[in-house]
Amino acid sequence: MIEELFQRFEDRPVAARTRGLCKRFGTQTALDGLEMTVPEGAVYVLVGPNGAGKTTTLRALLDLTVMDDGTAEVFGLPCVERGADVRARIGFVPDSQDFPYGGLSVDALLAHHATYYPAWDESYAGELGRQMAIDGRQRYGGLSKGEARRVQLVMALAHRPPLLLMDEPTDGLDPLAQDRFQALLADHLADTPTTVLISTHRVHEIEGLGDCLGVLRDGRLVAQLERQRLERLVRVRAEVPEGWAGGALLPLPVIRRGGRGREIAWTVWGESAAASAAFADAGATVRQVERLTLEESTRALLAMPEAS
Amino acid sequence: MLIAINPSDPRPIYRQIMDEIRRSLVVGTLVPDDPLPSVRQLAGELRINPNTVQQAYRELEREGVVHVKRGLGTFVSSVLSQRSEREELARSVATRALREAHRHGLSVDELVEAVRTAARDERRRHGETDE
Repeated sequence: MIEELFQRFEDRPVAARTRGLCKRFGTQTALDGLEMTVPEGAVYVLVGPNGAGKTTTLRALLDLTVMDDGTAEVFGLPCVERGADVRARIGFVPDSQDFPYGGLSVDALLAHHATYYPAWDESYAGELGRQMAIDGRQRYGGLSKGEARRVQLVMALAHRPPLLLMDEPTDGLDPLAQDRFQALLADHLADTPTTVLISTHRVHEIEGLGDCLGVLRDGRLVAQLERQRLERLVRVRAEVPEGWAGGALLPLPVIRRGGRGREIAWTVWGESAAASAAFADAGATVRQVERLTLEESTRALLAMPEAS
Repeated sequence: MLIAINPSDPRPIYRQIMDEIRRSLVVGTLVPDDPLPSVRQLAGELRINPNTVQQAYRELEREGVVHVKRGLGTFVSSVLSQRSEREELARSVATRALREAHRHGLSVDELVEAVRTAARDERRRHGETDE
């Protein structure tokens, strides 16, 4: 692992942290010693392939699943010992919509949910419901996936929790609701100091909001860093001579190799100027050095060979 | 004024916001003493992190383009050198064009020459006379 791809955020206040978290389901290992730190105020995007352990991580912070080893804490509170206090500080958008109250109307469900949260802001809940075009008279159990999602967003946001956990929050939302969700989250962040931990496959949807990235693979983080730090992940487009072997000599970690024949597009870890110079020294004619979008960074880090 | 950003643009988002505000100043849709949109407003409109907007405003303040009136918001400075804003903006556009030219294997001279030729053709197309 490239050490610089993993920030520990030791100099910042921490909203959520896990240490050596392990969880096995039968013979399957969901989490394998997870060390994750979510700094306070971050919009932390947690990505990873299906089965990498994203949902298990969120459930560990909420103390909804018993872990085999390791610890989790939220604002310094141990999640297992202080489960109720921890959950009171969290707004949660789960990945599933099965609630035990499917027979209730949306309004009744929201009223019921509100009783658990002293900080529930009734007028804000109403405002969110309008923005998300929710019809409160409908029976919750009869809602489509996308409609249920919107109700869950209201439930998670209306008590203005200091920590928001969202598991694939835009899954099932139509493009318009998706766009409204982004606007609503941006507004919410401007009004209320909130730390967000969001697990998603659709990183482009959170491109402008995310400022921290965690890449989960096989129950471990292979990268955890700020968006700003990701500026050092650059793609170099260059022409190389026939049979170029200079790539093996590059003094920079290579994250991903691409291109064809005499034209290459490699993603490397380093400053733009240094990367450009390194390729030139290795005999390549550099045409472009560009920073990656959050989505492209994610793809590059997910495809990164284990050894590098 | 209208601020447009593009996530796949090589410039970081806060830079794009700064350039867009400069653009508004140069074309005159934003004039001295005008208020900038609030952080919340712009973040919500662009679906971006409020911190990014704040960063752009902070940088512009450092450069003297805007100033903060406590409790009132951020305003375009009263005394602005239009000339330097134009130069700054021109440099940003030129840098992008240069990088694009280099990617296509074109030299600076070739690019400059092509810009003049293209400008002449554009003028003809719009029926204007060549000087």
